[in-house]
Amino acid sequence: MSLQYHVKLAEGDVAPSVLLPGDPGRVAVIASAWDEAREVASNREYVTYTGTYRGTPISCTSTGIGAPSTAIAIEELARIGARTFLRIGTCGAMQPEVRVGDAAIFDSAVRADGASALYAPIEFPAVAHHEVLEAAIAAASDLGLRHHVGTTFSTDLFYVPAPGFAFGGFEQSAWRERFEDIERTRVLTAEMETGALLVLARIWGLRAGAIALVSDDATETSASGEWDPQASFHVERESLLRLARLGCETVRILGELDRERAGE
Amino acid sequence: MSLQYHLKLAEGDVAPYVLLPGDPGRVPLVASLWDESREVASNREYVTFTGMYRGVPISCTSTGIGCPSTAIAMEELARVGATTFVRIGTCGTFQDHVANGDIAIFDSAARYDGASRLYAPIEFPAVASHEVVDAAIAAGRELGYRAHVGTTRTADSFYAMHPRPGSSFGGYWQSSWREHFEDLKRLNIVAAEMEASVIFVLARVWGLRAGGVAVVLDNVLKVSGEEGTFDPQDQFDHGGDEIERLARMGSETVRILAERDAVTPAAPASA
Repeated sequence: MSLQYHVKLAEGDVAPSVLLPGDPGRVAVIASAWDEAREVASNREYVTYTGTYRGTPISCTSTGIGAPSTAIAIEELARIGARTFLRIGTCGAMQPEVRVGDAAIFDSAVRADGASALYAPIEFPAVAHHEVLEAAIAAASDLGLRHHVGTTFSTDLFYVPAPGFAFGGFEQSAWRERFEDIERTRVLTAEMETGALLVLARIWGLRAGAIALVSDDATETSASGEWDPQASFHVERESLLRLARLGCETVRILGELDRERAGE
Repeated sequence: MSLQYHLKLAEGDVAPYVLLPGDPGRVPLVASLWDESREVASNREYVTFTGMYRGVPISCTSTGIGCPSTAIAMEELARVGATTFVRIGTCGTFQDHVANGDIAIFDSAARYDGASRLYAPIEFPAVASHEVVDAAIAAGRELGYRAHVGTTRTADSFYAMHPRPGSSFGGYWQSSWREHFEDLKRLNIVAAEMEASVIFVLARVWGLRAGGVAVVLDNVLKVSGEEGTFDPQDQFDHGGDEIERLARMGSETVRILAERDAVTPAAPASA
């Protein structure tokens, strides 16, 4: 395929496995964990690096915030040869045992986004590929990271219409117990991209999974009603590098599995 | 907990690992593979056997057809101590590469049912525990069965939603059904059955484990004739040892899980 409109990538520019952070500024940080890396494209919120991590070809493309820009990124990445997607982002904790600095590994997502519903009916599950999931769990155990496996609430809203969140105290009654209800379903975390990624990869027959660094406690802020992400979010470079390592190791383990299978 | 209203089971009557077929008539068949088994209860569509399979305590409770009766079975089983649920059933397929007699391992379900929505909003994923999925994959490999891992479409209807008039009585039909099955095929959905979604959603919101395996009996896109007639009695392939293979898949999945549980301490609630 020729040059893709938004990501400005062509066939040969990316490895079969692509890490997907939201923030274009984090792509270079993640690529710093590789043995070699070069920037191959940069346009709008889409920055792409390609390189090698411990012998495994790897790429990293930022998606921007939210499911709409993420859907564009993975449509275009799939067209030029990406086959395994691993979202690597940050998230807020929805359960008391999930602490800032922990890693979350997502086996599924609540589809509170708009884009995925335009691809597949809402009854359809947002579910990770079991091979990506098992590889991420193995990588987290190998690295000795405190981690949790479960569902993430993938929402199109960062500033939700609940007291203390949206500007000017704008509120909708449907949100009054929404956080509590989500917590009661044992959802681990909240973030903004995983649902669409998992749905699209599944309907295309490609592999996807998602991992995230817990950067704030959504239960605490929802309880107090005071919410200043600039003050309360913690994304240290060191923890980001730890998450990057988890993502790269997951890709490496998957590469090994694929080579084993090809050898059979 | 005292005696449960529908299942007629009390604490101690079931193992932590429970196989869930739909048909009460299949429970003794499943239990006949075990080293020992006894019927512990039978009421309405709910028949329960408990026993031992290769050193692992195991139970089997029929759910009846559909998510409403399955939700009741899950609620009452959880109250008397069941913690891992493995649905074993039959299914149709939407995919041409899946043959009759193959095994489908469900990692997730599309929620075309009513009961699961009364528990959790429709955006919530019906997803199996990865530990059960992984154990089922290992069981399939060990038994040498052709297996496919993927999503099942769980629906509240058996006869509705077929592509042509003729599946429902008297030719009743709705135009929105015309491409419904084709759309599900395009979504890469592997199977069609009637219970998995509510089992996955309930286990997940309770912090328990669930999974599902099924034997494929038909291709739902091919099963209705040119005129749209759908006669499962005639067209479903129950030719050989499908149910026995299914029972083996379920029992082996439980054995592998129990073995892994003994090595790793109890799974975290969120897994």
